[in-house]
Amino acid sequence: MTLLIPETYPKKLIDKNGKRLDGRALDELRPFKCKIGVLANAHGSAYVEHGKNKIYAGVYGPREVHPRHLARPDKGILRVYYRMSSFSVHERKSPAPNRREREISKIIEDALAPTLFLELYPNSAIEIFVQVIAADGGTRCASTTAASLALADAGLPLKSLVAGVAAGKVDGKIILDCGDIEDKAGQADIPAAIRMTDEEYTLLQFDGEMTPEELETAISYVKKGAREIFAKQTAAIKEKFERIRQETDAENKKIGKTDINPDDDMLGDEDSMDMPLELEKGLERVKEDKTKSSDKSSKPEKEVNTLKEESK
Amino acid sequence: MDTPQVISTVQKKYILDLLKKGKRIDGRQFLQFRDVKINADIIPKAEGSAEAYLGESFIITGIKYEIGAPFPDSPDEGVATCMTEFIPFASPMFESGPPDIEAVEVARVVDRGIRHGDCIQYKELCIVPGEHVYILFVDMYVMNYAGNLIDTGTISAMTALLSTKLPKAKMEDGKVVWDGKYMTIPINQIPLSITFGKIEDYIFIDPILDEELVMDGKLSFASNEKGQIVSMQKSGEATWSEEDVVKCSKIAVQKLNELRNTLNLRQYTPKL
Amino acid sequence: MTEANTDIRQIVVPGEILTEDSNFLPGRGAIRKGNKLISIYIGLKEVRGKYINVVPLRGKYRPEIGDKVIGKIVDITSVKWRVDINACDTGALKPKDSMDVYDKRSQRGRAKVSSRELEFEAMKKFGLGDMLIAKIVSVDRVSEPVITTVGESLGKITEGTIISVDVPKIPRIIGKKGSMIKLLKDLTTCRLFIAKNGLVWIRGVSPELENLCIEAIRKIEREAHTTGLTDRIQYYIQEKKQERGLK
Repeated sequence: MTLLIPETYPKKLIDKNGKRLDGRALDELRPFKCKIGVLANAHGSAYVEHGKNKIYAGVYGPREVHPRHLARPDKGILRVYYRMSSFSVHERKSPAPNRREREISKIIEDALAPTLFLELYPNSAIEIFVQVIAADGGTRCASTTAASLALADAGLPLKSLVAGVAAGKVDGKIILDCGDIEDKAGQADIPAAIRMTDEEYTLLQFDGEMTPEELETAISYVKKGAREIFAKQTAAIKEKFERIRQETDAENKKIGKTDINPDDDMLGDEDSMDMPLELEKGLERVKEDKTKSSDKSSKPEKEVNTLKEESK
Repeated sequence: MDTPQVISTVQKKYILDLLKKGKRIDGRQFLQFRDVKINADIIPKAEGSAEAYLGESFIITGIKYEIGAPFPDSPDEGVATCMTEFIPFASPMFESGPPDIEAVEVARVVDRGIRHGDCIQYKELCIVPGEHVYILFVDMYVMNYAGNLIDTGTISAMTALLSTKLPKAKMEDGKVVWDGKYMTIPINQIPLSITFGKIEDYIFIDPILDEELVMDGKLSFASNEKGQIVSMQKSGEATWSEEDVVKCSKIAVQKLNELRNTLNLRQYTPKL
Repeated sequence: MTEANTDIRQIVVPGEILTEDSNFLPGRGAIRKGNKLISIYIGLKEVRGKYINVVPLRGKYRPEIGDKVIGKIVDITSVKWRVDINACDTGALKPKDSMDVYDKRSQRGRAKVSSRELEFEAMKKFGLGDMLIAKIVSVDRVSEPVITTVGESLGKITEGTIISVDVPKIPRIIGKKGSMIKLLKDLTTCRLFIAKNGLVWIRGVSPELENLCIEAIRKIEREAHTTGLTDRIQYYIQEKKQERGLK
């Protein structure tokens, strides 16, 4: 493919003031934004902008497995389809899936499976479609972030959200959140993603050269970055619903309704659908006797043994 | 429900009953487009790009280029080629895999609208006749399918083309190199498309998903600013009378002029 | 963190800590992790006595015996209909569970009809794309849910329109003791049936009133997590009726 302007990488990636190509400090995250519920037909969806990465994730499931012989009788299967749009990169990429995309799809599956209760969906599949529409380094990390949000948006029970971010090494220095050029021209690249409830790694790869001490620094940077991303994921989700509450508060005022008993008028457990989760390891459910539901300290019909630790 | 491809008999009856009363399920007039939302130049590494919503149908188009050889039968013309990909999250009906026949149809119909009617000035995309021309890739990705992808695709593709900034080429020592400047794609006439759906004898434009799934057929027209029809495509099993075709072609020109004025796509041309 | 009844139900996300007070027990939507309770959904945190629940805001329908659902026939085999009931698996409807066909047959004189022939006749009753109101008869982990159309107000739907709503919002569309659905019916004069699997059947006297009813339902869906909804819906419908000149 002949292009007129090649991709070029400057020799020095960190200037004499210790600033990176885009002016960031060594341990600084790129700008991050996200939104859920962006694709109308998908069961759950999310959109992430991480640096100049732009990524959509859409979830369907649980649904029937095609082809049927891949279905598992004991638990659901998770399938991720990570694809890059032809125009997402400098040199047009052929639309057909390549091996890199297939590898990354599997990596993301492994990053998210530990957050799902797959044993609840025998003979079914949960399918996540990730489409990178603009790429800027660290797409697999940002894709994992987006996919995790899409799963939550779909209302699937999840043990945790997952935040993805890479660390790297350029000009001998450890950096957080490699940009496109840092990724391609740097000395090492560590894509990672973290399950935020217990801060365990669910995605981890390494490419390049580092001493164990450097690796330790890099991993601590990843944690720092993941925490920031997670805070933004959480804020974005809550903001969506809070904004609607603000609008409706204003509307309530407008129609002159001020004496609202909050307990009285909201989606609540009393009337809610019984959507039972099976008692599985680590999972407990207590079913209240509905006739006593007006008694706020009502006891359950039967005692359930509480487990001290959640088994994974 | 996740099986829109199996048409609900009740919904079909409902749609037809409404048509008989002169109404549509989403409250639109028979000759009314859904709301259009456009954002251009959203993909940094694409030379041109646009996302377009027509109602809830959503397509992102990116324009990429390469320098290559022209077709033998048009040695002094650049080339533009359209591709459409349905992303599986766009609908529970879509499976992952190679583009199916519907996707191919959308690409080819949009392509036809762009190819004729004095749209892209292909001769100005020629660098050295017979040797080097610009080859443009118009790649449309369907992000959400809510009916009428042809019209959504045309709006998205045209906006993306108009927003394109190409590096200018020059010859130096027998090689094609960048001359340091940029150019826009020379476009004279902006074609837009309009799709008519037909259920029994009722004809309406811009079918929404439910209508598209139950309708007997559709007829798409593209027309340019000069009021010329530049492409037509009939699909589905319905038949169309001569009178219908003539009437629709006139409505097409008029409605598309209105739409073109409303959208004012030239505002997306980049300042160089 | 003390856990007196919070005034406004807090929005929580999966993995979020609901409490570190080990006196509380996990209810629906919450699990224990060490001495903490964490949420497994995006939803509303709710404290009821010793229990902390999280009410999810979205989610797929999980069939339960006795549920009344709206389904669509999506496949016909030689022995049953397969019905899309908006769940992970399609439901199975067997000819014997559209039983009234059998009843009629057996009343028609003493004709000896084989059960295969009865089945064959019964299979003509419903066709591809037909919408049904059905009841879940059985559900288990291994086989697909089984449904029946025999029973009061069950059977084929022949008129009206059907929309799909988020399953967890269904209780809010019904309202406490049916207060919201009554409001919708009274003010829009539409007939409504709200199925447990997220499908809502609507039949009104005019398309404008049907559309208004649908708009109100969409508003409930969007604002299910807010307070003062019932009054706002009442105001909304009355205002729109006035704006649009509807009675």
